[in-house]
Amino acid sequence: MSIIKLSNVFYTYNKDTEEQVHALQGINLEIEEGSFVALVGHNGSGKSTLAKLLNGLLLPTSGSVNIYDMDTTNPSTIYEIRKNVGMVFQNPDNQMIASIVEDDIAFGPENLGVPREEIIERVDWALSKVGMLEHKKGTPFKMSGGQKQRLAIAGVLAIKPRVLVLDESTAMLDPQGRREVLSVVKQLNQDEKITIINITHYMDEALDADRLIVMNEGKIIDDDTPKNVFSRYAQLEAVKLATPPVTGLAIKLNQAGIPIDTNITTQSELVEKLCQLL
Amino acid sequence: MRDISFGQYYPSESVIHRMDPRAKIIFSLLYMIGMFFIVSYTMYLVTFIFLMTVILIAKIPPKIVFRSIKAIVFILIFTAIINLLFYNEGKVLVEWWKIRITDAGINFSVKMIFRLTMLVMGTSLLTYTTTPTALTDAIESLLKPLSYIKVPVHDIAIIMSIALRFIPGLIEETDKIMMAQKARGASIDTGNFIQKVKAMLPVLIPLFVSAFRRADELADALDARCYNATDHRTKMKVLKYSGKDLVGAIVVVALFVGILLDKYLIGGSGLWVGIDRYIADGIRNLVG
Ligand SMILES: Nc1ncnc2c1ncn2[C@@H]1O[C@H](COP(=O)(O)OP(=O)(O)OP(=O)(O)O)[C@@H](O)[C@H]1O
Ligand SMILES: [Mg+2]
Repeated sequence: MSIIKLSNVFYTYNKDTEEQVHALQGINLEIEEGSFVALVGHNGSGKSTLAKLLNGLLLPTSGSVNIYDMDTTNPSTIYEIRKNVGMVFQNPDNQMIASIVEDDIAFGPENLGVPREEIIERVDWALSKVGMLEHKKGTPFKMSGGQKQRLAIAGVLAIKPRVLVLDESTAMLDPQGRREVLSVVKQLNQDEKITIINITHYMDEALDADRLIVMNEGKIIDDDTPKNVFSRYAQLEAVKLATPPVTGLAIKLNQAGIPIDTNITTQSELVEKLCQLL
Repeated sequence: MRDISFGQYYPSESVIHRMDPRAKIIFSLLYMIGMFFIVSYTMYLVTFIFLMTVILIAKIPPKIVFRSIKAIVFILIFTAIINLLFYNEGKVLVEWWKIRITDAGINFSVKMIFRLTMLVMGTSLLTYTTTPTALTDAIESLLKPLSYIKVPVHDIAIIMSIALRFIPGLIEETDKIMMAQKARGASIDTGNFIQKVKAMLPVLIPLFVSAFRRADELADALDARCYNATDHRTKMKVLKYSGKDLVGAIVVVALFVGILLDKYLIGGSGLWVGIDRYIADGIRNLVG
């Protein structure tokens, strides 16, 4: 069943003023429950705008956004939607509201009026899911970016969402922090069957997804498995996105006349295919 | 570098640290009011013993508490001198133009110094033994009754909490921006006052821009985490009074009542006044 459904969605910033920006132009999208979707696109292609439409932080200028058949424009179900669609942003420092870890994680469930005993359970559960339980009583001061971002994820997990939208949540992290966050996200997708929408600039992250959506100038221009998308090298090039290095190499070899698949994404795969050719 | 979001908090395992923050706030208020009723040296001594006992129980090195007085040394000396010069009652010891130094003036100035010192020491005990987060929770809880007259108590609490959370970050950022500007040759800490103020502009503007950007993202993060979803918000941490707080209340109220009794009942006669007069005479002899 599709958990998210966007039909013919347009979004315009500063509508009817001189500075109006048509950030989204006719988006149609359905996302299956439990899937792991990566969303890529050049700067300003409308990814963040799309993300904010998913939990009603922004409302569509026209068209409709539905989460489990609840329309985001309906004020009576907006919190039900926000409870189901959790969102993690880019800068972990701008998402924590309390100085003590457990207080911050408790913020979401407190807002929802969850009974006290259950909040305590949820805080422990969320922190253990991101591997930060031992920092429960600590402060984010001096934590690494990866740790802080995992706390931000825990803060969202505590409201028990069914969808987790990550808007470039790894962009400010070092490689180590990125790995930590990604492995947490993958675990959540596998163990808790949480639907993941990962907005990213990193093509290797996109490779991990079941489905890759490419946006350009407010439109979806490609939507397929990552392998298939990357094999359409020219198209990615046109929207200033780079394929992963291995795929790039395969494509170049192909262009040079070597009969090799262009949907290769890992080094071992490339080695194997090349060996077969020998 | 210390975590500034801990403020002055001095972590240690003590009964005072574990007391309910609301109780500690109320005690501090009562103590402050009490300080304005103290009249005799005896009572200052009693209060000082009380303070030292609390510091001891709280396991805070006394020199840390005394350090908090350093900040007000200037105010202390200033008020003392003003009082000394313009206090007109009592026997005149020195007279020069409009200035008169009297024995009562000296007495008054000395007591003023005691009063302010103990006021600061007592109130800083609150911040030494209570985390800012606990204080915020306590203030929210104490202000709760105001929510019946539509004061947005919870929003105020969130604002305090966020301020606590973001101040360290903003300070760090100010440092970074200053460093960046210095690297480009800006001279921030040299020159006269006007030049310094001018030099701060290239620091303040990026700081404001970044603060607003942060605020924007924070607002989204608050909404994404269902801020304002219901009026029946719950709390994970529930404050609870305990035996410690009762004992504390008895001690603080006893001190307060003692101060009042000293002022209004015993104050006119008896042994205590004798001691007081003795000290006052001592001071007068020392000067005169
Ligand atoms: N608050 C706003 N007001 C006006 N225009 C905006 C606003 N936010 C975004 N835009 C514009 O809308 C378009 C889409 O922006 P959006 O932030 O969705 O892109 P993005 O794909 O997330 O980009 P990035 O990769 O830089 O995060 C851009 O042209 C941007 O300038
Ligand atoms: Mg964006």
